[in-house]
Parts: sequence; structure tokens; C-alpha cells
Amino acid sequence: MDYRKCASEILAGIGGKENLVSAAHCATRLRLVIADNSKMSKDTVENTDGVKGVFESAGQIQIIIGTGTVNKVYDEFIDLAGVQAMSKEDVKQAAASKAPIWKRILKTLGDIFVPIIPAIVATGLLCGLLGGLSRAFPDISEHYIYRLLDMFSNAALTFLPILIAVSAAKIFKGNVYLGAVIGMIMIHPNLINAWSVASGAETTTLWSWFGLWNIQDTGYQGHVIPVVIAVWLMCKLENWLHKHVPEMIDLFVTPLVTVLVTGFVTMTVIGPVFAQIETWVLTGAQWLITIPFGIGAFLMGAAYAPTVVAGVHHMYNAIEASMIANNGQNIWMPIATAANVAQGAAALAVALKTKDKKIKSMALPASLSAFLGITEPAIFGVNVRFIRPFIAGMIGGAVGAAAGSIMNVYATAYGVTGLFGFLITMDCTAGYLIDVVLAAGVAFAVSWFMGIPGEAKNRSKKSEPALAVAAASADNNAAVSEAPISCEVSEKDEDKKFVIASPVKGKLIALNDVPDETFAQGILGQGAAVIPSEGKVVAPADGEISSIFDTKHAVGITLENGVEILVHVGINTVEMNGEGFEAFVKEGDKVKKGQKLVEFSIDKIKEAGYKTETPIIITNTDDYASVEKIADDGDIDALVDIIKVSK
Amino acid sequence: MKQFEYTIKDPIGIHARPAGLLGKKAKEFEGCTVTIEKGDKSAAATKLMALMGLGVKCGDTITIKVEGGDEDAAAAAIEAFLNENL
Repeated sequence: MDYRKCASEILAGIGGKENLVSAAHCATRLRLVIADNSKMSKDTVENTDGVKGVFESAGQIQIIIGTGTVNKVYDEFIDLAGVQAMSKEDVKQAAASKAPIWKRILKTLGDIFVPIIPAIVATGLLCGLLGGLSRAFPDISEHYIYRLLDMFSNAALTFLPILIAVSAAKIFKGNVYLGAVIGMIMIHPNLINAWSVASGAETTTLWSWFGLWNIQDTGYQGHVIPVVIAVWLMCKLENWLHKHVPEMIDLFVTPLVTVLVTGFVTMTVIGPVFAQIETWVLTGAQWLITIPFGIGAFLMGAAYAPTVVAGVHHMYNAIEASMIANNGQNIWMPIATAANVAQGAAALAVALKTKDKKIKSMALPASLSAFLGITEPAIFGVNVRFIRPFIAGMIGGAVGAAAGSIMNVYATAYGVTGLFGFLITMDCTAGYLIDVVLAAGVAFAVSWFMGIPGEAKNRSKKSEPALAVAAASADNNAAVSEAPISCEVSEKDEDKKFVIASPVKGKLIALNDVPDETFAQGILGQGAAVIPSEGKVVAPADGEISSIFDTKHAVGITLENGVEILVHVGINTVEMNGEGFEAFVKEGDKVKKGQKLVEFSIDKIKEAGYKTETPIIITNTDDYASVEKIADDGDIDALVDIIKVSK
Repeated sequence: MKQFEYTIKDPIGIHARPAGLLGKKAKEFEGCTVTIEKGDKSAAATKLMALMGLGVKCGDTITIKVEGGDEDAAAAAIEAFLNENL
């Protein structure tokens, strides 16, 4: 057989390498994820010499080629397609995350931000309150307590990159402490604070990067995106090293190289590139607001929130400072206020409308904090995750900003926005009020009527696995359950997850490797499967027998935590009518972990011509946010943890 | 609410696979609750474990209740499914 020809015909059949997302293989099958299934010609692939069958499962195209040959075809295939070899898990993840890339990026940003929102809300509110108080009573800013509280209030924002780095490292499955180190490097005290630089502090050029650009000694305070990218890179590198560095030296080589390389690339490439982008944004923003008749303000009011997402908004202090220095009229601040309160109002609409308690409890404080000028919780925690509220906020921001500009609203200082902004807009209180009310009102209305997607409204049980899962669940159950649930799997949520032990000893395989479509596609629920090496089914945990068939080939157990498990010994073994099976329990029996439930003869199943693959299915998969196989394929003992169920 | 009876012809009864497929069929109709009754026991068609727990065997008569949503279409589809598979 000509492996290369086979591979090239398959590649052509799936619509060329442009259409290929990822490739992997198991013992018999080539497993591909392709971007657009309609571009694939199933006939072409099926008629390829060497292909024994093609089917679609769990978002993957599985092409059956056969043991011993599949790996050779695969090698040729990845060579022709020019893709990196991926593990099966990677392919599953790619399948699970077939949502458009920008949606996945936004979701990831949200996932990273959600866990740190309490920190930002606490200090952000304090920051807003202190800012407001000090405008109202300038004298208190000299008081010791004020200075102490002021320090509390800016701690989280000052060290934001560390918080983000830790959270991102968790999401990207790297070492969180190494992630923290990357964050610390980016805001090291030896660097000049980015906020100070924006207000005019001098920086020195440390190094001319191979003559291409200059590296300044500026820190990355207030930045989000460069930190996320740096930590993403770090996690990829770290995981790659873990796989390739010999175990003996892994412990010291991997962290060292990870920090060294990531830190260097971050400070010399990622950071400076972003600094350059920021400069362009700043120039663009300054030009934009010179467009008269409120048009410039309208555009900037809309663009403001996206620049917060990009993390370049702290540069705007520079614009405000120069306006004050110029004629004492800060016309930037009303635009920023409109954009901020609009995002707050859009999040408020979500908070009031959603039935999901978790979203509600996050959206309310996030919204309040936005009204006081700290928008990150509202933007990242709520609006960006559901996208439409974010757009509603942009619309509101644009309308409010345009109104403010037409009425020539200006501030006489800078540093606060939102409700506290009244304190620095005493010259035009009415105009500022209209600015705020219009922005908030429009954003709230738009968000209320079009902003809240179905999944935010209706998800009451499956609250956590946000967009990807909810969006995909309708058409692709298998992929969904394999989606890693990245947000909020912290220790305190331990009681929402259950780990299920294997009721059978043998070789663990993925459920979609079971040679039976009904099981493989997860129609009965998600789980895993074992090719038994010992003919015995034991209770995986304490529970009650909910069903046991007369044919004794399958037993259903409801565990004390509510998880329902079906252990189905072999495929189609119902037809053996109980021959070779012996049951030791009956329906309604209470069982203890490890108790013997059924004995069966592996030989008899094989003699009768049936497969012994034993699916272990969580039949109430729909009650959970995710059901994941957590152990690697291979030989396992009974009662080894194999499946994780998360609420 | 639509309601009809069906007598199981499949020699093995509602075991794992048909129960799973029946559940899948029932889930196709949004807003529609499908309940299977046998004697004084009943189970939602989408609850696989409860459904299997009914222990429905060949010759047993089950009552199928369809409520809410597009009841007619759901009932017809489920009846067709039963005729074909059970």
C-alpha cells in the first residue's frame, strides 16, 4: 500500500490542508478536525485505497485505516499537510472548541478575568470612593488613614499583571507560580511604572534590540493582553519542555528555561510590540476626538471599551494631562465616563435579567464598580463573555459621548470618571448628567432588549462552563463534555466535582474508541470504557442499584452524590441472555464501594463473538456541566479514578 | 397532553441501548415532557437510569404520556420509534 498516496487522497478529500484544523491517530483511526465539514467529500475519502471506513463523531472525522498502517499514513499525512503532530487530547480540545477563534479568545479572556474580579471590585470600589472623597474634601488626602486606604485601593490594579498571570497560568494549564514570576517580571520595581510614564516620567533605553527597536525600561502596569500572551507562551513552552526534557533534570531545567525564554521574549518582543500599538492607538484617539460636531466623540465613545479590552487605556491619562495643561478643559473625561457607565449599565441589564444566580451575583457589583469608573469587572467578567452586552455598552458610550461633546462638557481635572466625575465637572453639571444618563440609558435599553443571549438567561443549573459549552451543546454532546472546564475550578468548588472510580480492571480507553456508534457518540451519556482483564464489576462508590437486567450484562448504580452510572459489559452482550454472567445484587440493593456486583466470563463473551469493551457511562450527563475522562489510556486496576464529573 | 399505550414486542425489552435511543428521541422535542409508565411506576424518557429501572420486558404494556411543546409530532415520532425498535 502506498501510504503517501493514501494520505494525499485523504487530504484532498477533506478539502485540502487549508481546511484541516488538527490531526491525530489512535490504534486504527486517523482522527481529524476540519474547519468546514461541507468542504469534505466523504465519498472521495471512503474510496481512497486503504481507507476502510469514515464517520463523524464528537466533532472529529474518524477515518478507519487499520492497525500498523494508520501510523504510517498519519506520518505522511502530517508531512503533506504541514501540521504539527497532536495528541488525541489536543484533537478533542480542538473539536470541542470549534467556535470561531475570536469567540474563543474573548471567552478565554473572560475565563481569566472572572476569578480575579473580587480583587478588582474590592480595590476598584475603594479607589473610586477615595477618588471621589478627595475631590469633595481635598484636605483628607493628607490624612494618614487616607494614605493607608489609598495604598489598599491601588494594590490590585498596581499588581494586576501578577493576578492576571496567575489566573492565565491556571487556564492555560501551566505552573501558576511560574506564571506569577512572569507577571512580576513585567512590573518589577526596577522598571519605571507605566502609569508614571504615561504622565510624563522619563524612561531610558536599555537596549537596541538587534538594531530593530529600542527596549525601554517601562513596566507593564495596567496591562492585560501582553500578560495573557506572555503566560500563554510560557505554558506552551513549559508543557513542551516537560514532555521533552529527561525526567532526571526536568525539575530544574524546565522552570529555568521556561522563565528565561518567556521573560526574555516578553520584555524584548511582546512588550515592545504592544507599546508600539499603544502609541498608535493614542495618536489615533487624539486625532479622532478633534472631529467636530460630536462625531469624533461618538466614535471614541464606541471605541473606548475595546481599547480597555486591549489594555491600552491607561495611556489616556497622557491625553487628559495635556488637555488640562493646554486650556484647563478636559473633554476626554466625559467620553471615558460615557463609555464606562455604558458598560456598567449594560452589565446591570444582564444582572437584572439573567436567572442564573452566579452571573447575577457577579454582574451586580461589576456594574456598580463601572459606574464608579472601574470597568474591567463589567467588561471582562460579564459583557465580553456574552458579547452583545459589550456592543450595547459601545452604543451607549457613543451616544453619551456625542451628547457630552455637543454640549461642550469638560472636566477641570482628571483621574476619576463615572459618578465621581460630577466632582470635577462643576462648571457643567447638567451637561455631564445628560452625558451619563444618556450613555447608561441607551446601553441599558439595548442590552436589555437584545443583549442577553439565551444561555445567560436560561442556564440555571449549568452555570459555569460559559459560552463554548452552552453554544455547542445542541449539536455536539460528545465534544462538549470533553471541553476542559476552565473557569472556576478552584479548591472551594471541590464539592461540585465528583471523581468516579473504575468499576472494572483492564485497559482504559476513551468512550469514542468503543466499537459501537451508540456508545461512542455518547447517546447514552458520556464516560469512558475499559477492555476488562478481569471478569468482575464492582461498585465504584457507595450507592444503590437502580437497574440490573435479567441478562445481567449491564448494571445501573445511583451513587450517593447523585451521579448515575451504567456499566455495560461488552457490546451487544444482551444477546447472550445472561449466559456467562452472574449477578450478586438486585435492584434497590445498597452497595458499598468495591462491593462485587457482577461476575462475567471474558472468554465466553469472546467465544460468543462479542466485543468485551465495557462502556462506563454517566447516564445523567445532562445534569452536569461536564463529564471528562481524566486518566490516560492504558492498563488500570479497579477503583482507579477515571472520570471527573463537574456541576 | 397526548397519551397512548404500547406493548413491547422486542424479546429483550427496554435495555440500555433502546433506552438511550428513546431518550435521545424524546430530547429532540424541546419543551416536551415524555413520561413512560409501567404499572404504578413511571419515568421521564430522558432519564436513562429511571427508564431502565422500570424493567420493561417483552409483552409488557407501557403508557406513554407526552406533554407540552409540539405534542402531536413528538407522540407520533415516539410511536414510530417504538414500532421500529421495540
